[in-house]
Amino acid sequence: MITNSAKTQIDEPLLTSMLDRLIPPVGDLPGAGQMGLIDEIVRLSGQQTRFQEIFETAVKTFYNKNQDFISQSESQQDEAIRQFESTNQDMFDSVLTISYIVYYKDERVHKRLGWSGKTPQPDGNKMEPWNESVLDKIRTRKPFWRQVD
Amino acid sequence: MMSKNTTTDKSVDVLVIGAGASGGAATAWLAESGFNVKCLEQGYWQDPSKYASASKDYEFEMLTNWAPDPNKRQRDEDYPINDTNSPVTPVMFNGVGGSTILWTAHTPRFHPSDFRVKTLDGVADDWPISYEELEEFYDLNDEVMGCSGINGDPANPPRSPRQMPPIPLGKDGRKLISGFEKLGWHWWPSDSYVNTQPYGEGRDACNFCGHNHMGCYQRAKSSTDLTYWPRALRGGATIETGARVRRITTDESGRATGADYIDSKGVDQHQNARAVIMAANGIGTPRLLLNSTSDEHPNGLANTSGLVGKNLMFHPFAMISGTFPEKMDTWQGPLGNIAMSQEFYETDKSRGFVRGYTYQFQRSLGPAWIANGGFRNAVPWGEGHHEELEKRLGSLMAIAVIGEDLPEEHNTVDLDPELTDSDGIPAPRLNYTLSKNSRDQLDHAIVNAKKVLEAAGASDIFVDPMMRQSGWHLMGTARMGDDPRSSVVDKWGQSHDVDNLFIVDGSIFVTGAAVNPTPTIQALALRTADYIVANRQDFKG
Ligand SMILES: Cc1cc2nc3c(=O)[nH]c(=O)nc-3n(C[C@H](O)[C@H](O)[C@H](O)COP(=O)(O)OP(=O)(O)OC[C@H]3O[C@@H](n4cnc5c(N)ncnc54)[C@H](O)[C@@H]3O)c2cc1C
Ligand code: SF4
Repeated sequence: MITNSAKTQIDEPLLTSMLDRLIPPVGDLPGAGQMGLIDEIVRLSGQQTRFQEIFETAVKTFYNKNQDFISQSESQQDEAIRQFESTNQDMFDSVLTISYIVYYKDERVHKRLGWSGKTPQPDGNKMEPWNESVLDKIRTRKPFWRQVD
Repeated sequence: MMSKNTTTDKSVDVLVIGAGASGGAATAWLAESGFNVKCLEQGYWQDPSKYASASKDYEFEMLTNWAPDPNKRQRDEDYPINDTNSPVTPVMFNGVGGSTILWTAHTPRFHPSDFRVKTLDGVADDWPISYEELEEFYDLNDEVMGCSGINGDPANPPRSPRQMPPIPLGKDGRKLISGFEKLGWHWWPSDSYVNTQPYGEGRDACNFCGHNHMGCYQRAKSSTDLTYWPRALRGGATIETGARVRRITTDESGRATGADYIDSKGVDQHQNARAVIMAANGIGTPRLLLNSTSDEHPNGLANTSGLVGKNLMFHPFAMISGTFPEKMDTWQGPLGNIAMSQEFYETDKSRGFVRGYTYQFQRSLGPAWIANGGFRNAVPWGEGHHEELEKRLGSLMAIAVIGEDLPEEHNTVDLDPELTDSDGIPAPRLNYTLSKNSRDQLDHAIVNAKKVLEAAGASDIFVDPMMRQSGWHLMGTARMGDDPRSSVVDKWGQSHDVDNLFIVDGSIFVTGAAVNPTPTIQALALRTADYIVANRQDFKG
């Protein structure tokens, strides 16, 4: 569930800038921040209370330590993120995890990667059938399991 | 304050605790043999059509609400586990089907030598039973669960025909195999409890979605809710879900009388029974036995030997991955059911360690999974991110090492003095350190896996020397043996202390071998049930 309160916990401009550094522009795609993924990040993180708590705490903690983040240069921003990563690993991981998930759910990204983007089910995938001839070589090996009286 | 209801007037012949791999097998056998069996299961039935693999949020679900680590999943039916003092995090599922809901269903058997490690290698203990004694139950279990695979593996004794042909190897699987063949090393298509054609009741063939770890939407992967449980229920067994067992109860003579549990509405209940079977897994069972203290059993039930909760074994799991120059759509096909190698399975003392290991071949999944690391480090953020992601996507393969962990008394499950589940029942706490023998095995395996990957043409090889989230095989915490001073149950799974208490899950393993354990767990459960049918008609009311 998206709750307004969840969204107000998050400083949007800061997260946007952070996302742009985590997943920078590529080809004709802007950085993840400019792609407008924050609503989806907030919605998805709200699908599990435990995750949502870590994620929101992470964003707040980062904000408290880096209130001037948006005005910093890219290299300063990268340094601030690296600092956060090394001192608050679990919190940082929650931000990175959800950023990657939401970015790689996006159709624009699928198109660029040539990835179908469909859910694993109900269609599944196709595989070539089992072909016993692959065993020709290994079948020539003599049994070598250890005999026991 | 909870009210206390008592259901003493509805005594059952056998009460089974836990509806997973072993609980399903034992219940079905006993019910079909005319016993009045009831199972208490803290989790619930799953609806395969609602598995997360068909959800648009599946990548998130896989890491949260469907995570195999109960500490991350945190459903009401899960219990927390203090794993601070263990480099391995236990993973499991709590529900009808137990951990088979999330398992890979890679199903090799123990080797004959695995039952004789003391005699052959002078370590640990021999099992009080042999491979031959278990063989008919392995076969029976294969038939019920449905095994795909093929006979003729030179690393294993001959066995009955598999029910279905093997899972196709895929381009990626063949690539990895080319490395083993170049080195002249063993490999063989995996036995898997995965349908390659319709088999069982309403169970379709695998459609290669790749996501075994979120439950199988196709019902192609065998889980006991789809195999043993329908039979058990038809045989007259009953199951109560949302029923969390607090303790096994006993009378003045120390015999088991049933269980106290909290039902799905939060009400305390008691179920009377003439016999109790523990099937709560290698952590859940010692936890319950240790929680079941009484005047007659002050150190916990069935614990005269002091070995309940001791000798915890995992399979230390290393993961060696590499990327191939070609794109092979590595997300097509079950993640870990391609093939295995047992080139280094049996002891060769010149290697500097005893016992050995299996290699299990692994493919990889889609971009979000790859970005978050999958079986290796996450794709770095920032500059270089896209290049690295594209390199791994569709071409990342891994070799998992399943090493034989020998039993050590200091590796334990006990009760946490503070942590409890949502019903206030003390939670389990682990203390586990990796032995030198296990570390040496893993190091040997890592060197050789690198050789395989290189021979197959992979580069950018990454080694996870011991995966943390790999506590899927829970064994040894109520070991089997002939001597009551050095074991908890006898060779039939019957407690040495309490003649109407049996254990059928991985707790009773004497040693862990170097293969995924579930066919062996289930074969043992069937064997115990068979023993009860033949010898304990006195349990019938
Ligand atoms: C991700 C994953 C992958 C795996 N892959 C493989 C594989 O490829 N091959 C293989 O052989 N094995 C694999 N395993 C391991 C396999 O699932 C287990 O070995 C097997 O399920 C153990 O069977 P069990 O009956 O001992 O316990 P489980 O199947 O874990 O069932 C125990 C049941 O007991 C219930 N329970 C526990 N405590 C209580 C209580 N107090 N009250 C009521 N109910 C209780 C639980 O809710 C649970 O349903 C995997 C496991 C996981 C999690
Ligand atoms: S890969 Fe096959 S067995 Fe695994 S979940 Fe998908 S359909 Fe089921």
